[in-house]
Amino acid sequence: MTTSAILQAINGTSLAALLFLLASGFTLTFGLMRVVNMAHGAYYLLGGYIGLSLAERTGSFAVAIVGGGASIVVLGYLIDRFLIRHTGDNHLAQVLLTVGVAFIIGDVALAIWGGDALKVPVPPFLRGAMELPGGLVYPTYRFVLILFGVFVGAVLWVLYRKTQIGAVVRAGVDDREQVSATGIDVDRLFVLVSAVASFLAGMAGVVGGAFLALYPGAEWEILVVALVVVIVGGLGSLEGAMVGALIVGLLDAYGRWLLPEFSYFVLFGPMAVLLLVRPRGIFGRES
Amino acid sequence: MRLTRNGSRTPLRTLAMLLTALGLGTATVAHAQSEPIRIGLLPPLTGPLASPGREMVDGFKLFWDQVGNTAGGRKIEIVIADTTCNPDQALTQARRIVHQEKVHFMVGPLCGHEGPAVAQVSKETGVPLVMDAAGADTITKWDRTPTVVRTAVSASQIGHPFGEYLYKELGLRNVTFIGQDYTWGHEVTLGAVRTYTELGGKVAKIIWNPLGTRDYGATIAAIPQDTDGVSAVVVGVDRLRMFEAWFNFGMDKKLKIHGGYWMQQDVLPQMDDRAIGLIGNSLHYAAGLDTPENRAFTDAFARKHKRLPSWFAESAYTAGLWTKTAIDAINGKVEDRAAFLKAMRQAQIKAPRGLLRMDEYDNPIQNVYISKVQKIKHPVLGEVLTNVPIKTYEAVSQFWKWTPEEFLKRGPYKR
Amino acid sequence: MPKAARILLALVVLAAAVLLPRVAGPFWLGLVTQMYVFGLLALSVDLLLGHAGLFSLCHASFFAVSAYTTAILQVRHAVPTALAAPAGILAGTILGLVFGLAVRTRGVYFILITIAFGYVVWGVAHRWSSFTGGDNGVTNVPFPALGTLRVESPTEYYYLVLAVLVLCTIGYRVLVASPFGLTLRGIKASETRMRSLGYHSDLHLYVAFVVSAALASLAGVLYVYYNRFVNPVAASFPISVEVALMAIVGGTGTIVGPFIGSGIILGLRNWVSSFFELYASVMGLVFIVVVLWAPDGVVGLVVRLWVRAVKAGTR
Repeated sequence: MTTSAILQAINGTSLAALLFLLASGFTLTFGLMRVVNMAHGAYYLLGGYIGLSLAERTGSFAVAIVGGGASIVVLGYLIDRFLIRHTGDNHLAQVLLTVGVAFIIGDVALAIWGGDALKVPVPPFLRGAMELPGGLVYPTYRFVLILFGVFVGAVLWVLYRKTQIGAVVRAGVDDREQVSATGIDVDRLFVLVSAVASFLAGMAGVVGGAFLALYPGAEWEILVVALVVVIVGGLGSLEGAMVGALIVGLLDAYGRWLLPEFSYFVLFGPMAVLLLVRPRGIFGRES
Repeated sequence: MRLTRNGSRTPLRTLAMLLTALGLGTATVAHAQSEPIRIGLLPPLTGPLASPGREMVDGFKLFWDQVGNTAGGRKIEIVIADTTCNPDQALTQARRIVHQEKVHFMVGPLCGHEGPAVAQVSKETGVPLVMDAAGADTITKWDRTPTVVRTAVSASQIGHPFGEYLYKELGLRNVTFIGQDYTWGHEVTLGAVRTYTELGGKVAKIIWNPLGTRDYGATIAAIPQDTDGVSAVVVGVDRLRMFEAWFNFGMDKKLKIHGGYWMQQDVLPQMDDRAIGLIGNSLHYAAGLDTPENRAFTDAFARKHKRLPSWFAESAYTAGLWTKTAIDAINGKVEDRAAFLKAMRQAQIKAPRGLLRMDEYDNPIQNVYISKVQKIKHPVLGEVLTNVPIKTYEAVSQFWKWTPEEFLKRGPYKR
Repeated sequence: MPKAARILLALVVLAAAVLLPRVAGPFWLGLVTQMYVFGLLALSVDLLLGHAGLFSLCHASFFAVSAYTTAILQVRHAVPTALAAPAGILAGTILGLVFGLAVRTRGVYFILITIAFGYVVWGVAHRWSSFTGGDNGVTNVPFPALGTLRVESPTEYYYLVLAVLVLCTIGYRVLVASPFGLTLRGIKASETRMRSLGYHSDLHLYVAFVVSAALASLAGVLYVYYNRFVNPVAASFPISVEVALMAIVGGTGTIVGPFIGSGIILGLRNWVSSFFELYASVMGLVFIVVVLWAPDGVVGLVVRLWVRAVKAGTR
């Protein structure tokens, strides 16, 4: 029983690591630019597919991660620049537009990579199981995924909290007008943050594609869960994305283990209640 | 066409129109004979089951290409409509191919929950439906439609032999059943549970996983320690996740897992040598079946599509063979729907998957193969993983060893 | 457009709708019936979206709960339509009373909380299979019948739906033109101002939410008698998204808009997909085009072109 409980904790944490990669980008773009980008799941899927093709060509997982992320940076920039930019602050238009973009990306991906579930190949040293203290056997890949998530989280946090650029971004989240009044090039700031978000989404696709596989429809499944993370944590908050990912990951793992009959409520039920009590999520601030 | 359009003014005339259309059909057979037979195929080409949908089209087309796209002395035209695995869409698309494209009969759908929708159209229009590959038990048991016949399989039909296999051949007494939580998964899993427990087997636990379960770690952690074997019924992308989780958690060193419905041909390319030697499926088809009919089929399919067919492709291929047999038997007069359905029900088919005939409830009596994943040398494809039968249950009925009355009285399998 | 022209146009459209079964084959008739039903659902979404500024993504819930209630009563308990249909609407409306709590939130939070609600209902429909029939749902729903009056063909059902539709749009028109409707639009334009004027905005939005849920439930009943079956797809998130998109594509804040949007989206799905496999891309393009070049939907676009034409004419 205790072994299972510990296993579930690690399971939940490894899912949380993946969700954080996706949700952090989403939450930052919302926080700074007030953009609701529903194509984020499609970025994840496409980044994963591109990474998969790169991994098959080059045999390198690292190339896949960087390539998957980088290609989405380019795509994300184009979509931001030529489409989302035109919607201003209109969330409704953004949702409609980015859903449209996601449809197209999903369709193109289906045409290129087909309908089969595909798995990104993992390098040999990450395959199989490893023994943790206490005789627990755990998949190496997923354990490394946790470390990777923590690493990315730490890098983002340091960038966000301890650097000058981070300070500007934080100021931008609080009050955009004021930042532009100080003479900072807000446009360039937006491009930068959106590039980071796109990179994270594309990278998450490669990392997640090795563990959840890639298939048509995966973009919406992951987006909905990432949305829960963002909402629970509080839109626009990096710390919120961390805590939200952990909560959702653990709820999912323990919920499916202890209350398998209610697995849909376990995620969405508490979220609905939380939102009614605290509409802005745990770390969200009243605007 | 004209008639239909002018006729649908009032309900009475609609009825009259329907009757006229029917009468027209039979009255002008001689004329219609020269026209092609139009078959409506209803696969999901987009959406979650796009890939099996593609297999369905490939299998169906392969058959008709092989026979020169003719049957009963008439040309065959195939009209394909994408159902997207959505019942609303299946309903409108079925209506479209019936009313607009004037198909003579329909083949499909593939997704289980589209079955009732398309059967509904068959019921309201009288256009025969050859159900392939949707497998809901109820279609050929409690909820039958006179114009619907099934050429594929009923879900629990493949579950029943598997339960017996677990008990008798594998000697298991305390099995954990992992099942996918939707109708097909319930019926396959619970069919196996029933035959297994009736023999005296004990169920350690049944673990239900929703479709698209992200994390099979939780499932694996829930397997009781004292179980002596695991049965898996998983579909779609979950098959890969289950596979990875099983080996990554080192479960292969502790327990044996047997696929009741798991490692179909379409997922094997994404698996690897760890799968070799596992019991992959209890299914009415295995691509590694060594019969002349199946070798001819798999070789032709492999030459054309550079892969081995899954059961969806075989099933659609056989649906083609079965309908051609029926069309030939009535000399192409498919306008006579009753005659066509009768011929479908009476046909004896030598399909790639074995001998087939319809039972009295419009479901095929067929072999069920327990198969093991093996690496074989294929003449066209080289080394490939495939399912090779290790035990054949011959001429299995959808009612297994019970009488239809007993089975029907008991009601559907429900979680 | 002058009022007389509007009324004339409405009459022409109505006449065309009445005459449609004379020219359309059964497929088109069925598809148009479906467009009406989803148009009505989109209209219910638009009461919140176009008039109150709330973007709900859980309307499939009311739609499905009502469809399920009616279907289960009618099929399993042989309850006549006269009771089963109102019971369905009642069930959906009661759910609306609960989910209406979401009006405590605004903007993007409202969108997100309604997504969560929608998933809960979908989960119930899917998982509680002993009651809902799981993913097979409830099948064999008969045509509706009121005593000896029974609908016996798709054509008759078409007229029934059309009649309900006309009544609903008239009622809707009265509602949005009423002081209540004005207040809603006031809240949409500036909630703080309405509050300072003494309006209880949460209460107004709550009432609007419940009315909208009731309308969605009515669409659910029409849907189940059209389809003759219902399954969890009816409660799914994509339906909620799709109907919201219908309202936006057609033009929010109008009555014809949701119906035009429903016609475009269902038409694309059923017609384009019959010859073009990448039809999801076509839908995606439509959404993008609407956002960038026709933000007020097709209706807005037509009005703009009309105004331009009139100006050009007077010059």
